[in-house]
Amino acid sequence: MSSGTDHHHETDPRSPEVRTEALEDLLVEKGIIDRTRVEALIERFENDLGPMVGARLVAKAWLSPEFRRRLLDDADEVLAAEDIEGAEIEHIEIKANEPGVHNVVVCTLCSCYPWALLGLPPNWYKSPEYRARVVREPRKVLEEMGLSLDTDAEVRVWDSSSETRFLVLPEQPEGTDHLDLEELASLVSRDSMIGVAKAQKP
Amino acid sequence: MVTRDRGVHDIGGTQGWGKVPHSPDEPPFHYEWERRVLGLMFQVLRHTAKRPGEMRYALERLAPDDYFDHGGYYGRWEAVMELLLEEYELLAPGELDVLLGAKEGTGPAHRASPVVPKDPQKLPPDRITPLPNHRTVRREVVDPPHFGVGDRVVALGANQEGHTRLPEYVTGVVGTVVKIHPAEVLPDSTAHDLGERPQHVICVGYRAEDLWGNKSEAGVVINVDLYENYLTAVEEAV
Repeated sequence: MSSGTDHHHETDPRSPEVRTEALEDLLVEKGIIDRTRVEALIERFENDLGPMVGARLVAKAWLSPEFRRRLLDDADEVLAAEDIEGAEIEHIEIKANEPGVHNVVVCTLCSCYPWALLGLPPNWYKSPEYRARVVREPRKVLEEMGLSLDTDAEVRVWDSSSETRFLVLPEQPEGTDHLDLEELASLVSRDSMIGVAKAQKP
Repeated sequence: MVTRDRGVHDIGGTQGWGKVPHSPDEPPFHYEWERRVLGLMFQVLRHTAKRPGEMRYALERLAPDDYFDHGGYYGRWEAVMELLLEEYELLAPGELDVLLGAKEGTGPAHRASPVVPKDPQKLPPDRITPLPNHRTVRREVVDPPHFGVGDRVVALGANQEGHTRLPEYVTGVVGTVVKIHPAEVLPDSTAHDLGERPQHVICVGYRAEDLWGNKSEAGVVINVDLYENYLTAVEEAV
């Protein structure tokens, strides 16, 4: 990345930082964009979206076998019933981890991601390293990321090449049957719903 | 960087990459300019790329240096905004360079590849489907899908250049149909403004050993959603 956290102001006309700033000013001047709407949009993405939407779905599925069945069967219907809508979730499929099966999501051609369920994607998900490698050597990549899988567990990688987006339903950690929805949801990290981590133990 | 005879973006399975720059609590933005890019993009798209696949095709046409080394994901978005704004004639070629006092051609739009014209005859025929009552890429297609779950299929490869959702790494490899999704408009066509030509979307599972050879990791299946026109039944292909 060309711009660092150092304090000098970047001036290289090739840098994305300089070009972004100049582009915004130019587009405002031309009346193509409205700066207050840019602000509002950023804030909406930053504050109203986040992995808690997905985490609550997971926790509900852990609490209710009926909800889980519906979610795995037709997530679109469940999301519509729960009034969850937004960017990049026109069609969602939920893939459940279970003993002997681990799911992990990628988009090799682009960086597609279920924004309305998980918030804005982290950089590593969009990195060429992840996009290139997780389809060729998922066990090694997951191991490097801190997730060791049983050698006899099947790994299912989902490459988001159409408009379908995927969310992993991680396994419920042992000894959490007494927890309520919010407590359970707090164990479900963004990474666990991409499939590069397990749900945390309390 | 990996050299290859395919699109700059089509990197699934390519080798020579290092460790994934992973951090479990990574924030969505690292710099203020990345936030600005996100906010700008959605307004720029209202004036430019509106068709399914169009923005992605513009990203795919960036020069490799701009795609990979211009500030990562949001830098790529900044580059593609410049490209689209110039192509839609909302910016003059090199206008931003002039404003910045830089030589014309400093910016990424100058280095990007042009849109390749596609031959519509080489695309599957268009078909009339009921107009959906909300914004969606899904279409109701009367014809049933050509394939069923469990069928052995192969994608033989795109028959022309331009935007496609067929990754190179599964091309020519036999897989098994895992699931059939409803029809969607075909990005290979819509990105090139050649109509919707909706296709059933077929989820195909590939075994790692079929993709990567017998030294691959055991017990791995890679599932890829492919538009029906990419696929041929294996009996026919042989």
